[in-house]
Amino acid sequence: MKLFTRYSRINILVIITIFLIAATALFFSINYVMLQQVDESLRIEEGEVTTYTHQYGHVPKNMIVKDQLTHIVPAPGPVARQYTTARFTEPGDSRPEDFRQLTFSLQTGGQWYRVTVSKSLEDMDMLIHSILIISIVTILAILMASFLINRFLLRRLWQDFYRSLEAVGGFKVGSGQPLELPTSRIDEFSFMNLNLERLTQQARADYHVLKTLSENASHELQTPIAIIRSKLDLLIQDEHLSEAQSQAVQSANNAVQRLVQLNQSLLLLARIGNHQYDTVSSVQLDAELSEKLTDFQELWQAQQIRVQPQLRPAVVQMNPELAHFLLNNLLSNATRHNCAGGTIIILLDEQSLEVSNTSQVPALDERVIFQRFYKGAQSMQNNGLGLSIVRQICDVSGFTIHYRFEAGRHCFRVCFAPGS
Amino acid sequence: MKILVIEDERDLAQSICSYLANEQFICEYASDFPTASEKIALYDYACIILDISLPGGNGIDLLRELKESGKLDGVLIISARDSIDDKVNGLNAGADDYLTKPFHLPELAARVAAIIRRKSFDGKNIIRFDRLELDLYRRQVTINQSPIDLTRKEYELLLYFISNKNRVIAKNAIAIHLWGDSMDLAGNYDFIYTHIKNLRKKMVHAGAPDYIKSIYGMGYKFMLA
Repeated sequence: MKLFTRYSRINILVIITIFLIAATALFFSINYVMLQQVDESLRIEEGEVTTYTHQYGHVPKNMIVKDQLTHIVPAPGPVARQYTTARFTEPGDSRPEDFRQLTFSLQTGGQWYRVTVSKSLEDMDMLIHSILIISIVTILAILMASFLINRFLLRRLWQDFYRSLEAVGGFKVGSGQPLELPTSRIDEFSFMNLNLERLTQQARADYHVLKTLSENASHELQTPIAIIRSKLDLLIQDEHLSEAQSQAVQSANNAVQRLVQLNQSLLLLARIGNHQYDTVSSVQLDAELSEKLTDFQELWQAQQIRVQPQLRPAVVQMNPELAHFLLNNLLSNATRHNCAGGTIIILLDEQSLEVSNTSQVPALDERVIFQRFYKGAQSMQNNGLGLSIVRQICDVSGFTIHYRFEAGRHCFRVCFAPGS
Repeated sequence: MKILVIEDERDLAQSICSYLANEQFICEYASDFPTASEKIALYDYACIILDISLPGGNGIDLLRELKESGKLDGVLIISARDSIDDKVNGLNAGADDYLTKPFHLPELAARVAAIIRRKSFDGKNIIRFDRLELDLYRRQVTINQSPIDLTRKEYELLLYFISNKNRVIAKNAIAIHLWGDSMDLAGNYDFIYTHIKNLRKKMVHAGAPDYIKSIYGMGYKFMLA
């Protein structure tokens, strides 16, 4: 429910209640005042009848004036003087009407008379009718007005708010664009905008620091690694190294190599995140893949892995460097987790690229394999970033990647056009 | 021939100098911008190994200074920055090659040797080692004047070995030289052995001695037997 729908719902309910109470109070007070007035004129009439009787020694005749009746009948004794309201049909009229009556007694010439003076209340009914009608019309007018205010005025007043909301909804902390909110003449909204801008600016600054941290850290690591590597290269020149020492150097060299690769992977992820690979061009993927197959050929031969490529011409729109990393990581992954004498099947067509490999590892959990630093049960030699790089490249290139385990094969499928 | 190493990391510069210095090369060292600038102005070097981020200035500016003064020294940039843009900028500024840190010293030596070969104007593109003769232009190898047929990788391997003769080269340095740094070899260097075995076989078959000496499974050394 919208804020002003809720607001006006309460508002209108309160207004209607107040009006009903006010109309009721008005009704009763007018009713009271009018009755007082009618009673007053009945008393005057009573005075006139009494004066007439005393003056002439007999009661006057029954009188019927429009809306006023005087009815005098002999009575056995005095009657209580009282005001009543009755409903009857006036002689010569067709509809029954409400009358206010004053009954009192008169005595003249030893005879008691009961006198009833009546006055029609028709005028008063009309007045009350008009009050009711005016009340209802006013309530309707208020409802209408508040509806129109809601619809046009409030909508205009809240327009700035909705524009800000839309801008905030479209804001991405990593996009590099600062949040720009429309200016508002309404204090509350401009205050809100100011705070939103400050908040997002802070978030962007923090995000930028985090983003550049990993890139800077990776860069800073390159130099010490370069020193270690160069010292190891020098160390092995020593002709007097024992076999054990040589093995230690070899292990250190392998560890440095892993460090280098980890660093490269982290840098790559940071750069993809920093939009440094945003330039896109047409990449002839089958040609790229053929080249990669040649590069990997010796690696596969050494591990007796058979490779069955089925490449059809495929052109995709992506960053050429990322294409290289994508293929590299997919093939490396299929190689590393393969077993001796296993196979790699590569299917490429215009829609998708599918790389599947045999392995000794059972099915993997698709939800976690693309996470950073995920490591399966085996091979501690790799850094667990390969597949998350693949995932991230697919994300920025508008591709989708799926994993499935089928007939003992781990199968990774990249779809170039996720929509189709 | 003199080589100038401009690098603010003393440890790295020392490694480079002690690896490169031999009967052929004399290595000098500058650790900051002013020293480097002075040395470049005063002397001619066969090759300058240049780090881009220096205390007191940018290596690219040194490179421009060098080019503006019309000097022909070869320049190899070594940098931790490895993006394509950085490389293109360096090469556009007039560098002959660009090597990203961390590198293996044999790789550096091979690049330096290649730059010096390109810069030398003796018109010959021929490298000799004992009975071997490499025609760099035609990518031809002859032993005792008879050509031997090498695959592309075997040829590259041989050239790499000759650029690092009498030095022990680690197996992963060879792997990176032949397959690049981006391929994840997962510590598996067995397949290098196949190439070395074939190269060895072809050379011995053509009548050359076995120049390649295996060092404890750690690496290889190319030397006169």
